[in-house]
Amino acid sequence: MNQDIDILLVEDNAGDAEMTVAALSQNNLANKLMHVRNGQEALDFIFAEGKYSDRHIDQKPKVILLDLKMPKVNGIEVLQRIRSDERTKNIPIVVLTSSKEDPDIQKCYDLGVNSYVVKPVEFDEFQKAISELGLYWMIVNQQPHK
Amino acid sequence: MNEIKNRDQSNLAAELIIADKELAFQNEEKEKRAAELAIANKELAFQNEEKEKRAAELIIANNDLIFENSEKEKRAAELLIANKELIFQNAEKEKRASELIIANKELAFQNGEKGKRAAELLIANDELLFQNDEKEKRAAELIIANKELAFQNEEKEKRAAELLIANEELIFQNDEKGKRAAELIIANKELAFQNEEKEKRAAELQVANKELIFQNGEKGKRAAELVVANRELAFQNEEKGKRAAELQVANKELVFQNREKEKRAAELQIANKELAFQNEEKAKRAAELIIINEELAFQNQKRSKEVSNYKHALDESSILAITDQKGIINYVNDNFCKISKYSADELIGQDHRIINSGYHSKEFIRDLWLTIAKGKIWRGELKNKAKDGSSYWVDSTIIPFLNEQGKPYQYAAIRADITLRKLAEKEVETLHEELEQRVKDRTEDLESFSYSVSHDLRAPLRAVNGYARMFKSKYGAQFDKEANRLVNNIVDNAAKMGQLIDDLLTFSRLGRREMTRMNVAMQEIVTNLCLDLQKESGDRIIEFDIRELLPAKADHTGIKQVWLNLISNAIKYTRIREKAIIEIGSEIKGEEIIYYIKDNGAGFDMRYLSKLFNIFQRLHSDDEFEGTGVGLAIVQRIIHKHGGRVWAEGIVDEGAIFYFSLNKS
Repeated sequence: MNQDIDILLVEDNAGDAEMTVAALSQNNLANKLMHVRNGQEALDFIFAEGKYSDRHIDQKPKVILLDLKMPKVNGIEVLQRIRSDERTKNIPIVVLTSSKEDPDIQKCYDLGVNSYVVKPVEFDEFQKAISELGLYWMIVNQQPHK
Repeated sequence: MNEIKNRDQSNLAAELIIADKELAFQNEEKEKRAAELAIANKELAFQNEEKEKRAAELIIANNDLIFENSEKEKRAAELLIANKELIFQNAEKEKRASELIIANKELAFQNGEKGKRAAELLIANDELLFQNDEKEKRAAELIIANKELAFQNEEKEKRAAELLIANEELIFQNDEKGKRAAELIIANKELAFQNEEKEKRAAELQVANKELIFQNGEKGKRAAELVVANRELAFQNEEKGKRAAELQVANKELVFQNREKEKRAAELQIANKELAFQNEEKAKRAAELIIINEELAFQNQKRSKEVSNYKHALDESSILAITDQKGIINYVNDNFCKISKYSADELIGQDHRIINSGYHSKEFIRDLWLTIAKGKIWRGELKNKAKDGSSYWVDSTIIPFLNEQGKPYQYAAIRADITLRKLAEKEVETLHEELEQRVKDRTEDLESFSYSVSHDLRAPLRAVNGYARMFKSKYGAQFDKEANRLVNNIVDNAAKMGQLIDDLLTFSRLGRREMTRMNVAMQEIVTNLCLDLQKESGDRIIEFDIRELLPAKADHTGIKQVWLNLISNAIKYTRIREKAIIEIGSEIKGEEIIYYIKDNGAGFDMRYLSKLFNIFQRLHSDDEFEGTGVGLAIVQRIIHKHGGRVWAEGIVDEGAIFYFSLNKS
């Protein structure tokens, strides 16, 4: 079951996660989606450690949707770990955050985030934003050959 | 089926072979019979031939059948092999089915686990709701704390403003005292000079007086001597008269001599009288001189009293010290002693190093000495050290007194105690620093508050909005109109709260943002904004009358925001008109450029003018005109940050004019 995953959704807020999945499902983009609830689980998944040790690190998702504010290991730390490892540094990462006031925006860009999306309160806009980024990273964006 | 068919055909072939043999045998029999039956033989021979032909044909057909038979046997063998394969596959499938059953059990177990986890998630969800509540409470507390801080800030700002005013008053009084001291010094100098002159003249008069008195005395003595000599001569005359009687011969001569002497005596008497007269005159003059002298002494006293009055005034008002050209103190007044806590005896003979606090740089002191050594007045503030080690501040004026060569021969230092002022200044400075720190702290508080607001409040809001929308799209069809209206209200209100939070954050971000001044082309900004906003307002008829808009030095982003808010407002509040007319212009008034935007919209009641620019204050209900009450507060904040003013005029149902001003430079 831990085979080819296209989208890794790292999100601690159940509501946001559900709505993200719903938005992606509308475009049939959620079939190969994996939802993890905190930074540690995300790292375990990406680096094939812990309960994901049956995975292989080469089984990279096409994109990681990363929330910043999470318990235990936060988004910045996840971003840092992924970017500092030769094996994973090329995985596209889109940071999702609640607010454009976030003091971590600059830090994210410094760490080489691919995109930074503020989650709108309005559901239509939220859906639109998530669908667009899903379509872009799943279909439009061309990845380097493995 | 094939097998059966095959078998029938091979049976048929065998029967045919047997039949063939039978026919051959019958043939032989018939040939035998042919001899016997010759007549019928031909017919039979013919039939036989036919039959032979048919037999040959049958043989050929037989051969074909034999060939087909062998083919069919080959295929039967292949089918047997295929059959075995199928049996083997069947066994494999059974094995796999049993494996699937095991896997199925595993899945059922996992399903159970997921059920448990779902239950855990429900608990976690409750926990999140509880945390959500706690966060809302905290946000409310932060808002209260913020208001308290804002109030404290205002109080401090008021106090700082009062201190600044007090400070300015002190500076003004100080200046006045400095001016008065300078005037007194000049008056003093003049008086000292007049005094000196008068003293000189009085001294001269006294010397002249003494001389006259002395001359008078001398003349008196001489007159007395002359009187004595006169008496002696008279006596001698008498003696000679007596002798004349006796010496008649020599009398004539003597008479002559006598006459001569009488003449001389008369002359002497005249001279004597003259002398007596002169003496009298001199006595009169001496008396006059005494009167003049007294008058002079009186005037002198009066002048010196005036001088001492001035000196008293100076002593009362100032700290005074006089030094020689080397800076050695030879006079100090009481104020000097009082503030320095030294006695006059301790100070006189010392130089000013005795009260040097070491606070000022060597360059500063050198500049002081260079200035006064050149004969120029030095003014400045000095920090001195009293005898007990405490320090005090004086506003000092050091005046060099110049000799005939224009070189200073002494210096007068007039000082005023400004320790209190300096303390006040220090206090203002401390308060200012404290205030800065407070502002910094508060800004940091606000920043973390903003972050907390934007993150923690938006997430649940998004959930409310999103779930309501999902609920509606899934079940909307099953509900009646009222139920749908209620759901729509949830969605709308969540969206509005999101807008409120965004506006609030914009407002607070503007408060923290530094304004960078650059040349701003107002005309361009306004024209572009009007074009964009017109496009957004669909088929409404809006007439923009954009007049000359003077460029200004301002923060580009901030000013664009100001115009955006003002023009959007004008468009919004004119939508009740068939044709909206919006006029935008500017004019110079004194040092300011005044920009205005005038519309023919709903206007407002001037009674509520004071509320117009306050945050979250609205003069219309949401039913009339939607909004969050932040737009004009943002306008005011940006303009105030530029040091400008904002104001407005309005008439209900006729329109409004909004103004803002910016400094020309």
